[in-house]
Amino acid sequence: METGSSEKLNRRALLAGAVFLLGGAAALTRFARRPGDPAAADGPALSAEQFSLLEQVSETMVPATDTAGAIAAGVPEFIREMLVQWGSRSTRVEITQVLEAIEQHAWRKFGMSFLEMPAERRLVVLKEFDAARIAAHEGAYRKFKWLVLIGYYHSEVGATHELRFELVPGAWRACLPITEVGRASAFYGN
Amino acid sequence: MDYDAIVIGSGISGGWAAKELCERGLRTLLIERGRRVTHKSDYQDFAAPWELDHRGQVPEDEKRRDYAIQSTCYAFNSATKQWWVKDSEHPYLTPEGRDFLWLRGYHLGGRSLTWARQTYRFSDIDFGANRKDGHGVDWPIRYSDVSPWYDRVESFAGISGNSEGLEQLPDGRFLKPMELNCAELDFKRKLEDRHPSRRVTIGRCANLSEPTAEHIALGRGPCQLRNVCERGCGYGGYFSTLSATLPAAERTGNLTVVTDAIVESLDYDHAKRRISAVRVIDTHTKQRRSYQARVVFLCASTIPTAQVLLNSKSDFFPNGLANSSDQVGRNLMDHVHGMGAIGHVPGFLDRYYYGRRPTGIYIPRYANVTEDGRGEYTRGWAFQGKGERPNWDRALDMASVGAELKAELREPGPWQMVLFGFAEMLPRPDNRVTLHASKTDTWGLPLVHIDCTFGENELKLAAAADQDAKAMLTAAGCTNVRALFPRLSPPGTSVHEMGTARMGLDPRTSVLNRHNQAHDVPNLYITDGSCMTSSSCVNPSLTYMALSARAAHHAADLLATGEL
Repeated sequence: METGSSEKLNRRALLAGAVFLLGGAAALTRFARRPGDPAAADGPALSAEQFSLLEQVSETMVPATDTAGAIAAGVPEFIREMLVQWGSRSTRVEITQVLEAIEQHAWRKFGMSFLEMPAERRLVVLKEFDAARIAAHEGAYRKFKWLVLIGYYHSEVGATHELRFELVPGAWRACLPITEVGRASAFYGN
Repeated sequence: MDYDAIVIGSGISGGWAAKELCERGLRTLLIERGRRVTHKSDYQDFAAPWELDHRGQVPEDEKRRDYAIQSTCYAFNSATKQWWVKDSEHPYLTPEGRDFLWLRGYHLGGRSLTWARQTYRFSDIDFGANRKDGHGVDWPIRYSDVSPWYDRVESFAGISGNSEGLEQLPDGRFLKPMELNCAELDFKRKLEDRHPSRRVTIGRCANLSEPTAEHIALGRGPCQLRNVCERGCGYGGYFSTLSATLPAAERTGNLTVVTDAIVESLDYDHAKRRISAVRVIDTHTKQRRSYQARVVFLCASTIPTAQVLLNSKSDFFPNGLANSSDQVGRNLMDHVHGMGAIGHVPGFLDRYYYGRRPTGIYIPRYANVTEDGRGEYTRGWAFQGKGERPNWDRALDMASVGAELKAELREPGPWQMVLFGFAEMLPRPDNRVTLHASKTDTWGLPLVHIDCTFGENELKLAAAADQDAKAMLTAAGCTNVRALFPRLSPPGTSVHEMGTARMGLDPRTSVLNRHNQAHDVPNLYITDGSCMTSSSCVNPSLTYMALSARAAHHAADLLATGEL
C-alpha cells in the first residue's frame, strides 16, 4: 500500500517535471505548452498539437501499406507513454526538439506545417531530414527513430504481421532457404 | 550441532555443493543473502516483446540512479531487472580512475540465473601454466584430478557441444551440438583452410539440446530456442541452481534453505581448529543470529567470500580467517574483454535460419598452444562470436523512411560475422579486495574496496587478439571489417572474477589445499571462483561446478571417517 502511494507521488512529480521542460523546450514554437497548464498536470507528456505531429511523423516513417502503419500499431501512444514513464528529462527535451526540427524543415521546404501538407510532401520532408541526421550520426534523432521502430516492430501487429515472431520457436534450423523461413525475425539481434 | 554442513551462497558453486552434500546424506543448510525465488513462476520468459515493461527498457533515470554499474551488462533489461542488485543500495569502492565492474544479483540461485551458460573444461595447459611460466603459484591439481568430476557435472547439468579432440580444450560428455549457420560454416571452412592450427566449433553451453532421463526426472525439458535465458527458463532448458541442483538437493529431504540472511563472519575456535559458528544478519530486521555445523562451504562468490574471511578476525587470525598466507583477497582476476571485430559476409542472401540459438561459435585458444606467442606474451585468449542476419534495428544506421524502409526491413539484413575475445589474466597480488577501515553498508559491514588493473601481459594479449579478430574476418572474405568495441572494458566486465582465496601446495603462499579445504581451518571449504589459482581464458563456471562436487565428496568422506 505504502509503496503504491509513493509511486503515484513520484509519477506525479515526474509528470510535472516533464510538462515544465517540454514547455521550456517548445516555447519558441506554435507547439508551446504554457507551464502550469492545469490540464497538463495529469495529462500526456505532449500537447495535443505535438501529439498530432508525432502521429503524422510516425505514420510517414512507417506508413500503412498491405500491413498496418504506425498509427494503427499504436506507435504514437507508445512514444507518449515512454516519454513519461521511461525517458529522462533530457530525452523528453531531445524528442520534442526532433519533432520541432522536422516541423521547421517542413516550413523551410514547402512553407507550410507538416500537419497541413499532403502525404507525398511529408515523405519528402522526412526523407531529407532522416538522411541528414543519420549521416551526421545524431544521437537525438537516432533515439527518436528507435522509439518509432521499436514501437512498431515490437508491437503485436508489427512483430507478428509485418515481421515474424515466434514466442517459442521450439527448434533451431541453422541454414534454410529464406523462402521456407519467411520474413525477418522481429527479435533483436537474431 | 544444528546441521552437518552449511553452504554459504546459492549460485552455481553453492548449489552444487549443497546437492552433493545432501546426496551424501548430510543434513545441509543453504544460506542465501538475497530473497527467495520460485522457479518458473518468478520468471518473465513468456512475455512477448509488446508485453514487457517499456518494451524491455528500464527507465533512464532509474537506470542512472540505481543500476549505473549493473546496467552495463548486456543481460540487463526490464525483464531481468530483478536479477541485479541496486548499485545505490550495494556500494563498493574503487580507486579513482581504476574502475572494476562488479556485476551481481542477490536472490536464490544467484548468477546461475543470468549466466551466459558457456561451459569449457580447463586443460593441463591451464593447470600447468603457473608452474611453466612462473606467474602465481602452481595449481595443486592437474586435469586428471578434475576430469572425472567434469564428467559428473556435465552429465547432470546437460552440456551441448561438439567433440574436437583438442589438447587445450578437452572434450566432455556432450549432448548433441547445435548447428553452425551458413555464414559460420563458410567462415569455419575458410579460416581453417588459411590457419590449420585454429578451429571453429559451436559454443559449448549448458542448454538441453536433448534432455536425458536424469534431466527429465528433475522436471527439466528441452531448450526451446527462445534465447531469453537470462529471464529464467520455465522449461528448465538451461542449467541453473533453481532448475537443477536445488531440486536435486531438495528431493533428498536433507536440505534446509534460509534466504534473506547475510553472512557477516565465521567464528573460529582455535582450540579445536574449527569454525564454530556462522554469523548472519537478517536482511530486513537486521537481527543477528548464528548457525552451527560440522563443516562449512563458503561459496559466496569471489568478492564476498574474501569479504567474509577478511571480516572474520580473531586473536589467532588478526588479518582474517584462514589468512595466515596473507593471500585472501589477493590475485583477483577476470578475463580481458573488449577485443573483437565485425565484418560483412558477402553472399548467402537466399539463406536464413529459424529459431534463436542460445550460443554462438567458439575459437579455442591457439596462442602459445598451436602457434607461438611471438615471444611477446605468455598465455592466450579465445574468441566467441556468431554469424547472423541483423533485423529491423539495423535501420538506426540506415537512411531510409516510409514504404521503402518497411519493405527493406521485411527482409533480414545481409550476413555479418562477429568475433569477441576473452584473454587470460595473470594472478598478481596487487589486484586485491580489501575492507574499508571505516565505511560500512546498510548492515554495518565494512565496504569492499576493489583495486584491480590489467598488467602488461594482459594488454599485449588484448592487442594481439584485437588484431587477429580483424585479420581472421578479412582472411575469411569479410568486407567492411571494423572494431567491435571502442576500447577495452574495465576488469569485472566478463563477470568471471576469481582468485581471492587460491588453491596451492604451500600453506605459506595459498589459502586452500588440493581439495579446496582451507590450509588453516580443516572444516572450511571454498569452492567458488575465489579458489582459482589461474584464470585460463575459458569461461570458468564449469570448473567451479567440478571443484564444488569434488570438494563436497572429500568433506563427506572425512565426515564419514570422523576425521572432520
